[in-house]
Amino acid sequence: MIAVLLERIGLALVTLLIIAVTVFFALELMPGDACTVHLGRGATDTMLAACRARMGLDQPPLWRFAAWAGDILHGDLGVSMQRERPIVDIVGWRLRNTLILAAVTATIGIPLALGLGVLAGLKPDGPLDMAISGIAIFAMTVPEFISGTLMILVFSVILGWAAGVVTIGYKAPALDLVRASMLPAATLVFILAAHILRMVRASVIEVMQSDFVQMARLKGVPQRRIIWHHVVPNALLPAISVIGLTMAWLLGGVVIVESVFNYPGLGRLAVDAVADQDLPLVQAIALLFGLIYVLTNLGADLLALALNPRLRTRRG
Amino acid sequence: MIRQLTARLLAPPLVIFMMVAGAAQAETVMRRANDLSFGGSESLDPVSANRFYEVNDLIYSRLIRQDDDGRPAPELAQTWTANDTATEWTLTLQPGVTFHDGSAFDAADVKFTLERIKDPALESPVTDVLGMIEGVDVVDPLTARIRLSTPHAGLPLLLMDYRVRMLPEGAAEPYGIGTGPFKLESYDPESTTILTANDTYWEGAPKLDRIEFTAIPDSEARNQAMLGGQIDYNGLTRDQEPLYVGNPDFIVQSYPAGGWFGIAFQANQPPLDDSRVRKALRIAVDRSEMLALMAGEGNGIVGCDTPVMASDPFRATLDCPQDIAGAKALLAEAGFPDGIDIEVFTADLEPGMVQYAEVYQQQVAKAGIRVKLTLAPSDGYWDDVWMQKNAVTSWGQRPADQILNEAYRTDASWNESHFASAAYDALLDQARATLDIDKARDLYVQAQEILFNEGGTLIAYQENGRRVMSSRVTGIKPQDEDYIRWHLVGMTE
Repeated sequence: MIAVLLERIGLALVTLLIIAVTVFFALELMPGDACTVHLGRGATDTMLAACRARMGLDQPPLWRFAAWAGDILHGDLGVSMQRERPIVDIVGWRLRNTLILAAVTATIGIPLALGLGVLAGLKPDGPLDMAISGIAIFAMTVPEFISGTLMILVFSVILGWAAGVVTIGYKAPALDLVRASMLPAATLVFILAAHILRMVRASVIEVMQSDFVQMARLKGVPQRRIIWHHVVPNALLPAISVIGLTMAWLLGGVVIVESVFNYPGLGRLAVDAVADQDLPLVQAIALLFGLIYVLTNLGADLLALALNPRLRTRRG
Repeated sequence: MIRQLTARLLAPPLVIFMMVAGAAQAETVMRRANDLSFGGSESLDPVSANRFYEVNDLIYSRLIRQDDDGRPAPELAQTWTANDTATEWTLTLQPGVTFHDGSAFDAADVKFTLERIKDPALESPVTDVLGMIEGVDVVDPLTARIRLSTPHAGLPLLLMDYRVRMLPEGAAEPYGIGTGPFKLESYDPESTTILTANDTYWEGAPKLDRIEFTAIPDSEARNQAMLGGQIDYNGLTRDQEPLYVGNPDFIVQSYPAGGWFGIAFQANQPPLDDSRVRKALRIAVDRSEMLALMAGEGNGIVGCDTPVMASDPFRATLDCPQDIAGAKALLAEAGFPDGIDIEVFTADLEPGMVQYAEVYQQQVAKAGIRVKLTLAPSDGYWDDVWMQKNAVTSWGQRPADQILNEAYRTDASWNESHFASAAYDALLDQARATLDIDKARDLYVQAQEILFNEGGTLIAYQENGRRVMSSRVTGIKPQDEDYIRWHLVGMTE
């Protein structure tokens, strides 16, 4: 049990190290350096020299990587070239806002997906299942920038129920952001729920055909009791790792959704940082996304371990 | 129980919301977007490279502004006169003007504002425009004398630059105090910046009570905010225009501006060192068709390789229809009777930069000009390609004296086509020393004619600017932002 736990955590740390190395050295392969990229057309020799000295670019790459990684371990992500402020101060608020958006999405999306998945799986190919599965496939195939724009068009421009894009600032109180995050969260829920419910549906169908459900049915256990005590708990276990993966996968969607809705989170900041050619900030955000991805998956793994004893022993 | 709880939780925000809504009705507020083009390092220093110009336009004033024809008109300076050699300019200032902090505007503020531009620590791009200002003398509180290191008859035009805005003496970071029609209430470029009316504005109290800027960096999100009525004023791209045209809730305006794409042919590299070849490469272009294809018909002004912005009184209006026969003849004369092969570089840096080169390639093929298009990587384009190869270039709008000196003079730092003409340089010097504005105009036009006959840069047109506004907005003419008199702008109910 402890060995499995340590192995998972060790793997997560190795993954993070690989991400850090990739994020850092990818930039070394680019033409020019962080300063030529950032200063662009207006760069003069004196500006470039000053920028390189400030960024420590005159040092060899390995030494810079060591310094960068060391600073990160001390909680220092460096200084943004464009904003000329510590990156920690810039990403802190945005990280909070993205987590709020993720929390709203998860709170609505996960119960919705589980409920619909069970409903669809109980009577496969029935009219309810056809409707739910049909919508799910639609939701999975429509890209976020289309569903998001459609949401704004319908709920904001035509119906006028909700403000289309978010106009409150990144430092707004958390409750205001929860209110502002409804349309972007709905866009994300659409995709998140679709992925999870299809997994839940499949495992409900599988469990319904299993021997122990047949047995319970033959024993005369009432249908409701079979569903709640035998089918649902067994069908939800595989859903946990899918939820973990899907939440992590949504990070990519967050970049798009936040831009479409002007939501002041990490995703929009990532787009801005790329547009500003602010490489230290891009690096820091890429690393943060990697960290969130790894942590979410690790969390899902550990939760599955806790709930499913069969996973706790190492095979082979 | 739950219902009660919900009611109790919702009631206070609801009351506050209604109060805010009630207060907002009494106020006229214009909401605008900040596109975060400087990524949050927007500066309230008007001459900073990162100037937050939308806000600076509202809180600061210039000495001289343009009238509707683009000619110099009084703002904080009532009159201006030069000595005979145009090396000294004396300005009399508007009396009774106060800054937002209550202090009086006088000649010492002019001295401070103009002299600090050259401060090397600021690294201000305005140094390129007003670097010839040697110093400013305070003659009396309402008279300032500007001393120049070289004669410049066009100084009033240069002072119209949208960045040359008056600060109070001793102003320092974070700036924000001006004499303009609006005062800064709160400042946060990355979320919301709020301006309120300056009721003691010397030209009269503004009609709007507040102007709010919200950060919306994504162009499509700004468009959605405009469509949804969350902002009242926005720039417009060509693709977005059809969404608004014909909708009574919006006003769409297209106005003369000065941004342009061009192809800078390298005049110092054979065979382009022959001016006949350079001219052939340019006269083979159908400029009207190019404008229609690139910007849409009527959305710009065709030009004959003049870089001068559309509203500038010194812009040359030449005629240069597509001349295939002429181009062929020039090429034959220069020793290329069978046409010529030319490589042109471009990069996908701005929408249109690649298409510009493609349209060019198609149009000049008829004259036997075989263009090889090379798409260079966006990263490093300005370092490794521009000013070294025949390359598509992109410029924002600039007035005549500025752009003609900045990009075409023999020793200019941005001479992107390596154009070298002693006659051209002499005309610019002469124009700067000519106080009679009509005579000066003749000289600037002659300089632009030289560019058309011998120059290396193709400039087919200047594209119009576009904006969309809520139909409630009043007092904004289809003119560039520099021209807007913000205290006259209002919003109907």
